[in-house]
Amino acid sequence: MLAGLRAWLAGFVGPFVATWLLGAVLLMTFLAFNVLFLVWLERKVSAHIQRRVGPMEVGPHGALQTVADMVKLLGKQLLTPVAADRTVFLLAPLLVFVPTLCVASLIPLSGTEAFADQPYGLLVIVALSGLTVLSIFMAGWASNNKYAVLGGMRSVAQVIAYEIPVLLAALAVVLIAQTTNLRLIVEAQHHTVWYIVLQPVAALLYLIGIVAETNRAPFDIPEAESELVGGFHTEYSGMRFAMFFFAEYTNMLVLSALGATLFLGGWLGPVLPGPVWLLLKSYAIVVFMMWARWTYPRLRFDQLMSLAWKLLIPVALVNLVVTAVLVHGAG
Amino acid sequence: MGLVKRYWAGFWSLVVGLRVTGGHMLRRRVTLYYPHEKPDTAQWGGPIELVTFPETQTHDCIGCKACERICPSDCIDVEGKRPEGAKKMRATKFILDFSTCSLCGLCVDVCPTDTLQYSTRYDEAMYTRDATRNDLLRPYGEDPLFSGKAL
Repeated sequence: MLAGLRAWLAGFVGPFVATWLLGAVLLMTFLAFNVLFLVWLERKVSAHIQRRVGPMEVGPHGALQTVADMVKLLGKQLLTPVAADRTVFLLAPLLVFVPTLCVASLIPLSGTEAFADQPYGLLVIVALSGLTVLSIFMAGWASNNKYAVLGGMRSVAQVIAYEIPVLLAALAVVLIAQTTNLRLIVEAQHHTVWYIVLQPVAALLYLIGIVAETNRAPFDIPEAESELVGGFHTEYSGMRFAMFFFAEYTNMLVLSALGATLFLGGWLGPVLPGPVWLLLKSYAIVVFMMWARWTYPRLRFDQLMSLAWKLLIPVALVNLVVTAVLVHGAG
Repeated sequence: MGLVKRYWAGFWSLVVGLRVTGGHMLRRRVTLYYPHEKPDTAQWGGPIELVTFPETQTHDCIGCKACERICPSDCIDVEGKRPEGAKKMRATKFILDFSTCSLCGLCVDVCPTDTLQYSTRYDEAMYTRDATRNDLLRPYGEDPLFSGKAL
């Protein structure tokens, strides 16, 4: 059916643009539904950790609650502060979603399927995922609100600090797999074992790093409600606010999918088709992130920084060197 | 060595934390799914009401004003008079202003005829201040001792 749709579209815009369009639409649709599901899941997980039941009224077990919330957000007025930098203010929520979407398109769904198969996939992903913070800072700066600026600045400092352990953890995997192509990394795990067995430290570092990169508790200081109102999205309302929300949850899934690809063998698994396995593993990581969110209190800013620079980065470096030596020794 | 020990202790505390929340996640909920489930009100102490005694099929309030006097928030207003030919007094008015009642129960304890008790009403919500005034005699209708249609 997809091939037919693609052929039909290619008649209008040519095969290249047709593939591109179809991929983007498919990905966007899936990610949109994914966000609705994840918000519902988050509310359910938090409820059950607090021995409540969570949303129950709209749809079976509250499954349609987030749809109702989205409809409500769509109906809200879009406010722009008078003192805001209008262009940047409007641009930020639009741009925040783009890097995540690009990263999502690079993750291989199975041995043969990926929206974009890049020989240097991992490098592109690392480069792109650093861009999300740019739009967050744009949002904070353009709001012309001290809480928003503080939130934006915290976000920049945090993401810069935590990109490094994530990158170093991914690099350890690259050293073992001898490639930056994500598809080949998964295939290398097919021939040996999942890299979480060979690289438990890197896997842990990656997990901590992505929790920080997605600005989630216990590393949610950029939007710390009790200190900064809403952080960088204080001045945003309605669908613009929803876009930040959207980006956060999409980012969660995409970085989890990347983690599953690097450490949990990506699409590998018996019986079920590859994409299903990848999704299952990603959602397992996402649930763990939610579980951690409802367990740990928020870190203070200096604790956050010293954790990254004094513990995670040295450990990641040592891990990388040890891996390099071992890989070299093994030939 | 001390540093490693400290980091290990910290890391282990995180694992313990996850175990605690994870354990709660799998256990039974403690909340009531309210509009669909009603609470067990057997032990509930709601706004006071008059006791209906089975032998007389009516209350036994003698309008002595003991409850009115002991009430710390002055939310009870009682009047009584003696019906013709009767030995005992009889309440003609019993108003509880529930907006100031703190449900302390002193009136229940002090009542000489034991005709006050907590009701089991738990969902007392109303739109006007007037609606918080409970007329405790209303459920009994016209009092037969006053209207001459004595039992």
